[in-house]
Amino acid sequence: MIEHETSAERLRQSDERFRFMVENIKDYAIIMLDPSGNVSSWNEGAQRIKQYQAGEIIGQHMSAFYSAEDLAGGKPARLLREAMAAGRVEDEGWRIRKDGTRFWADVILTALRDGSGSLIGFAKVTRDLTERRASEEATRLSEERIRLMIQAVKDHAIFMLDPEGNVASWNEGAQHIKQYRAEEIIGQHFSRFYPEQDVLAGKCERGLEVAARDGRFEDEGWRVRKDGTLFWANVVITVIRNPEGALLGYAKVTRDLTERRLLEDEKVRLAQAQEAIRLRDEFLSIASHELKTPLTAMQLQLQSLLERVKAVDGHVASRLGRAIRSGARLADLIETLLDVSRIATGRLELSPTKFDLSEAIGEAVERMSGSAAQAGCPIDTRIQPGVTGIWDRVRIEQVLANLLSNAFRYGAGMPVTIILKSDGAKAQLEVFDEGPGIPETDLSRIFERFERASSTRNYGGMGLGLYVTRQIVDAHGGSVSARNRKDRGAAFTVVLPLAPEPVARVEPKPPKELR
Amino acid sequence: MGKLQVLVVEDDVEIREAMLDVLADHGYAAAGAVNGRDALEKLEKGPVPSLILLDLMMPVMDGRAFREEQLRMPSLAQIPVVVVSAYHDVAEHSKVLNVEAHLKKPIIMDELLQVTRRYCC
Repeated sequence: MIEHETSAERLRQSDERFRFMVENIKDYAIIMLDPSGNVSSWNEGAQRIKQYQAGEIIGQHMSAFYSAEDLAGGKPARLLREAMAAGRVEDEGWRIRKDGTRFWADVILTALRDGSGSLIGFAKVTRDLTERRASEEATRLSEERIRLMIQAVKDHAIFMLDPEGNVASWNEGAQHIKQYRAEEIIGQHFSRFYPEQDVLAGKCERGLEVAARDGRFEDEGWRVRKDGTLFWANVVITVIRNPEGALLGYAKVTRDLTERRLLEDEKVRLAQAQEAIRLRDEFLSIASHELKTPLTAMQLQLQSLLERVKAVDGHVASRLGRAIRSGARLADLIETLLDVSRIATGRLELSPTKFDLSEAIGEAVERMSGSAAQAGCPIDTRIQPGVTGIWDRVRIEQVLANLLSNAFRYGAGMPVTIILKSDGAKAQLEVFDEGPGIPETDLSRIFERFERASSTRNYGGMGLGLYVTRQIVDAHGGSVSARNRKDRGAAFTVVLPLAPEPVARVEPKPPKELR
Repeated sequence: MGKLQVLVVEDDVEIREAMLDVLADHGYAAAGAVNGRDALEKLEKGPVPSLILLDLMMPVMDGRAFREEQLRMPSLAQIPVVVVSAYHDVAEHSKVLNVEAHLKKPIIMDELLQVTRRYCC
């Protein structure tokens, strides 16, 4: 009896300790429910997690912990039924604290039965997994964001290959660059992005092998779009392994560098073209010097011979005169060819200085009086004095010489008129001849290269003078035009700003020898 | 050595001889030099001319180098120089070299004689 009492006492003490332990557990809500689901015991953990005091929750139904949706769905009753049927049920989901806030709960509901099997209630153990869930959710969201981001990238094709090289995922950029939609390419081998000869050469396998061995493989080359066109691709294949090192597949990032490649090709071609131009310039410069050297010697000899025979043999003198004029024409042609070359290569450089155009024209006319006499063209000048501006004197004199020799050529035997005037902002130079005029169809193109209004048989020259004239005038920010005069002949008009904003480069440059 | 009026510094023998012929025809005492170095040597030996006609593009010593040397030597610096060149921008070269005048190749004989007359009375 005593022994029995002692045993009962021990059991009572043990129950007491167990109850004390459960009551004090803080991390788990451990509560008892009666068979209908009403709370019959409460511990520290329950109070901490669900915020109710034992006194205010004991006797209440466990549905107090569920959200309105769960209640509407009959979740508490269902869980009790399942626990009764299976002995135990586990659930994860949102539960409601006393203050109405939610927490993510892991709940284990165990049916309790006495020795005879009658249901005496339920044990309910609840853990608050809100923080863990938040971190899991954060991970999930971040993975989702990365996935969406990769999905949305348009400039890079980013996709996965399985270990065999079949496409396993696809993004916007891949569709944009390679033109396949995800549904038509996933599952296909990536060799279809390579030109046939690369596939036959085993380039695809080699890429995967290198990536598997070294972790990464990079390549640049032509790849094929769905429509069969090629694009210049930069490709990086990265191996993907699980933590244990097993091959999961490959990540492939492809960029379309076609434009960059074309740009580089373009640069190379440009450099080659510039080099060709430089060589041509050099050649022309040397050729011009070489051509002028014997011409200089020849002209001097002819001129001195002419001088000697002039008094004694008029016939020989006249023939020498012709030879000298031919030499002079040759010299002019060499200069013109050089000018055309300079213009064509954008090197018509001006050396502007301030000078009196009225005087310069007077002097130029004086210099050309021989040619005028030879062409039988009396020159009538109507020059406003003191027209001063900033121009390249040599070039402007060249313009006048070109216009005059044009007038002598087409208006031979008739007077040529030169008019210069200024309105204070611009100088206007006009040259009139009394030749046949310019056919209407030619008016628009006589300033183009290699255009000439008359046939070669009738007139000499290469038709470059007016082209050079226009380039010089343009470089000064001026304009030149041609028209037919009402009565007869052609009129050429050059308009030059007095203080030009030149189109061509005008920074002072040292002569070639000093560079 | 007699009186010298013009020194023609020109590497091309045909041009040099043609200029010398023309000058001789008109009664000038003229001598030739084949490049800047040759010209300096002749000038140092004397006689000193009244005018130097100077080509720019020459081997051994070009016209620019000659002009710099000439200006460094007080005994020669005062001799007037006229540049004779085929350069399109011979006027600018002349300005930089600070010479009296320039003639553009191909040379017009009358201009050559005119400029010579100006410096050789």
